[in-house]
Amino acid sequence: MPIESRRDAGTLIIQTEERVDSANAQAFYQELDSAIESDDKAVVMDMERLAYISSAGLRVILQTARKLQQQNAKFAICSLSGTVREVFEISGFDRVIDIHSSQEDAVAAVNG
Amino acid sequence: MDDAAGAYRILVVDDEPDLEPLVLQRMRRSIRSGQYQFVFAQNGVEALQKLGQDSNIDMVLSDINMPQMDGLSLLEHIPDVAPDTRSVIISAYGDMKNIRAAMNRGAFDFVTKPLDFDDLRVTIERTLNNLDAWRQAESSRLRLAAIESELDVASKMQQSILPTEFPESRHYEICGNMTPAREVGGDFFDILNLENGCVGLAIADVSGKGVPAALFMMASRTLLKGTAIGLYDPGKVLGEVNQLLYDDNEAMMFVTLLYAVYDPERRSLTYANGGHTLPVLFHADGTHTILPSTNGIALGVMSGAEYEQATVSCSPGDTIVFYTDGVTEAFNNEGEEFGMDRLLQIFESAPGNCRSTIDAIFNTVSDFAGDAPQFDDITCLALRCSDH
Repeated sequence: MPIESRRDAGTLIIQTEERVDSANAQAFYQELDSAIESDDKAVVMDMERLAYISSAGLRVILQTARKLQQQNAKFAICSLSGTVREVFEISGFDRVIDIHSSQEDAVAAVNG
Repeated sequence: MDDAAGAYRILVVDDEPDLEPLVLQRMRRSIRSGQYQFVFAQNGVEALQKLGQDSNIDMVLSDINMPQMDGLSLLEHIPDVAPDTRSVIISAYGDMKNIRAAMNRGAFDFVTKPLDFDDLRVTIERTLNNLDAWRQAESSRLRLAAIESELDVASKMQQSILPTEFPESRHYEICGNMTPAREVGGDFFDILNLENGCVGLAIADVSGKGVPAALFMMASRTLLKGTAIGLYDPGKVLGEVNQLLYDDNEAMMFVTLLYAVYDPERRSLTYANGGHTLPVLFHADGTHTILPSTNGIALGVMSGAEYEQATVSCSPGDTIVFYTDGVTEAFNNEGEEFGMDRLLQIFESAPGNCRSTIDAIFNTVSDFAGDAPQFDDITCLALRCSDH
């Protein structure tokens, strides 16, 4: 399932797909790349649907975070399932990516 | 305007001098619009000369009966001079014998005399369409071959950095193995001989695929080796390697890397972790401990990242299994994940020697996955502590 995105009061909210592994990481990156405009200043990635992410998927999140940093946009992710949160914790990515439990908190964080 | 860069070039071969003005006259619209260009030859010999000099000829339209070299002999020689062209034969009406002979020699189609130019236009178009489709297929085939050869290069690089021999010692035993995924992941492991009889063990998983990932893997492995030989503390080693990788990382790659130093004198293992799955210590009594987390981020991601280290003591007969997520995240055809529990179950009775430990893990994962495609490299490294 591809990503879905919408803009709500200046915040781009992206719903991720169910699974990101090395087989679809490149497509995931391209979908994110076309969803994010160069003038977006607040982006939230909602991972409620995400059941599995591999290291290839983590790299896409990292590339996206770096790209948004370069355009001075704030970026946060939210609604991680237990296993996905574990992947972020084990890899240490929870230290470089802003993680929130709910979409409301994440939206508030990128607009703060 | 450029010399009709997009035009198809058609070589017309006939000994009748009347054909040239006729073709130029009847095909003038297609010539003027830049669709076709015509070149002419009087016989097979001259045709081969033209084909040899002009590599842009797409199609040959040739009569059969000509002096010096006839159309059938010409057909036989065309593949040597211009393999990437299509030939159409002009034959006498009803001359099935020569038409069959021409087709058997590789002609794509034929037209009959007297020339019907409407039919000729359709034949030319069909011939050139076929040529275009073939050229497209050929270029995809070449691209695919390039991708395959890139994967092949990456795979060779990966295989070349894995240790093929395992150290032999009275104090410990080490064994490791990797099964690469079809599309080449980025797992590697390494074993380093350090001072005072200590041994360094590393297991790692580079994000990404193909040659860029393989190059990052080579860099990680080389930097780790260089750093580990001068510095003892695994935490400091990872800090150093992280910075070196971070400073030159345009492609935003990263590597999860767990590095441990085993001191056989003290029978202790000191380790630091850059975002990798934690090893499991299987005790001689059949129980197990997952090594405590030391909080470290994958290498190459964060400038100035620091890595804590921890030390565990081992008893004789203890086995420490280092692995990559390719083990626990192997899937079967039902979409189930191998998972941590199945890994732990393998050693409900204490593991034996290192080789059998590694074999047991690979066999169990392989039996579980069946013929489901393997998306990630599967890598394991085991250290078994012996008596002094």
